[in-house]
Amino acid sequence: MTNRFLKYGFVFIVLILLQVLLFNNIEFSGYVNPYVYVMFILILPLEIPAWVFLIISFLTGLTVDIFTGSLGIHTSASLFAGFCRPYVLRLIAPRDGYESGAEISMGNYGLNWFLIYAVIIVLIHHTVLFYFEVFRFKDFFRTLLRVIFSSAFTLAFIMLGEYYRSGKKR
Amino acid sequence: MRNLLHFLVKYSNIITFILLQGLAFSFIFSGFNYHNTRLIKGVRGITTGIEMRLGRLNSYLRLRDINDKLSAENAELKNRLQRMIREEDLFFLSVRDTLLNQEYQYTNAEVIANSVNRQKNYLTINKGRKHGIETGMAVASPEGIAGIITGVSDNYSVAISLLNLDFRVSARIKSNDYFGSLSWDGRRPEYAILSEIPQHVVINEGDTVETTGFSAIFPEGITIGTIKNFSKSGSDFYNIEVALSTDFRRLRYVYIIGNLRKKEREELESSVQ
Repeated sequence: MTNRFLKYGFVFIVLILLQVLLFNNIEFSGYVNPYVYVMFILILPLEIPAWVFLIISFLTGLTVDIFTGSLGIHTSASLFAGFCRPYVLRLIAPRDGYESGAEISMGNYGLNWFLIYAVIIVLIHHTVLFYFEVFRFKDFFRTLLRVIFSSAFTLAFIMLGEYYRSGKKR
Repeated sequence: MRNLLHFLVKYSNIITFILLQGLAFSFIFSGFNYHNTRLIKGVRGITTGIEMRLGRLNSYLRLRDINDKLSAENAELKNRLQRMIREEDLFFLSVRDTLLNQEYQYTNAEVIANSVNRQKNYLTINKGRKHGIETGMAVASPEGIAGIITGVSDNYSVAISLLNLDFRVSARIKSNDYFGSLSWDGRRPEYAILSEIPQHVVINEGDTVETTGFSAIFPEGITIGTIKNFSKSGSDFYNIEVALSTDFRRLRYVYIIGNLRKKEREELESSVQ
């Protein structure tokens, strides 16, 4: 248990540092702003009680908000993504259900399953985030385009991370 | 009572979600007016240390560039001084002219955190209330305008960058004095949009766009940029794209400009309106 706690704590710190020091500085004509810290919300174990999980999502977003100086928008988006996760998991549950104790990863449930799962959660998170950031419906489609491009980059990173994770285990 | 408990347990995650989301919304709305400095003071204090260190490293790597800019600016200022001395030599000034006193005061400062890739960008500046910085002061780089101070703590201040969807400044075309409103459209950090210039005005690519003195924030005649291209939209006004003269990607040394007579002016204006 403690071991696991440490592991996820480490993942959290690495993701936040990557986000704040590297990905927040990516600038590609304003269309690509990957927010890779969502990965943390994706891979948290299933056994965490729902309300604890919500608080963790909240705090994850808040940490990023503090470092970005944007009050509330990351908090709100992460919390919403965290809130949706159980429903998404139920929606795309594998035929024989989830094994208890198995962590959510590409290695355990396959590439296809994980990709669908990640796409849904990342899109939810980025949509909320970008529309809250702009907070107006003017340029609706431009914001949509930003959501799509940024999600693609975030997903690319998350899949790389997943390959690394599943490769390490073998 | 049992029913209530049952209800709470059943919907515990929705209730938690709504409570936390409410909290997040309150953050968002308190952040909207960045004058809410109490929050910033607590929040920014944590990260400014790291940002400052990163910024210092970055500026060390660009010292040559910064020096070049400084010497160019010095040369320009010396030229301006020369012209002034010439003019004043024609008079014999012995009276103390109260109308000639200083209107704007400049303070130098460093940008320690900045972004250009978001829709609402802010600058964090390494001077604050202790150094006499107040909200509503103007921030300009040696090349052109950069932002307006919106939040001040003891040692730091936060400015809304020109690259922010909420930023507006009154601007005019230098060659013909027609003025309009300049804002950023959230697309590229090199360009902003000048609107409200009527279509009968003759404008050319390359015309200089500068500040008007209308708002008591920016002094008159600070460069904003040059006209990159323009088009006639369906309305009566041009759609003008302005290439900004400030390079926001490498913004580091800035001036903070305070209007010493702002209070007097605003009191007069509000008493008349």
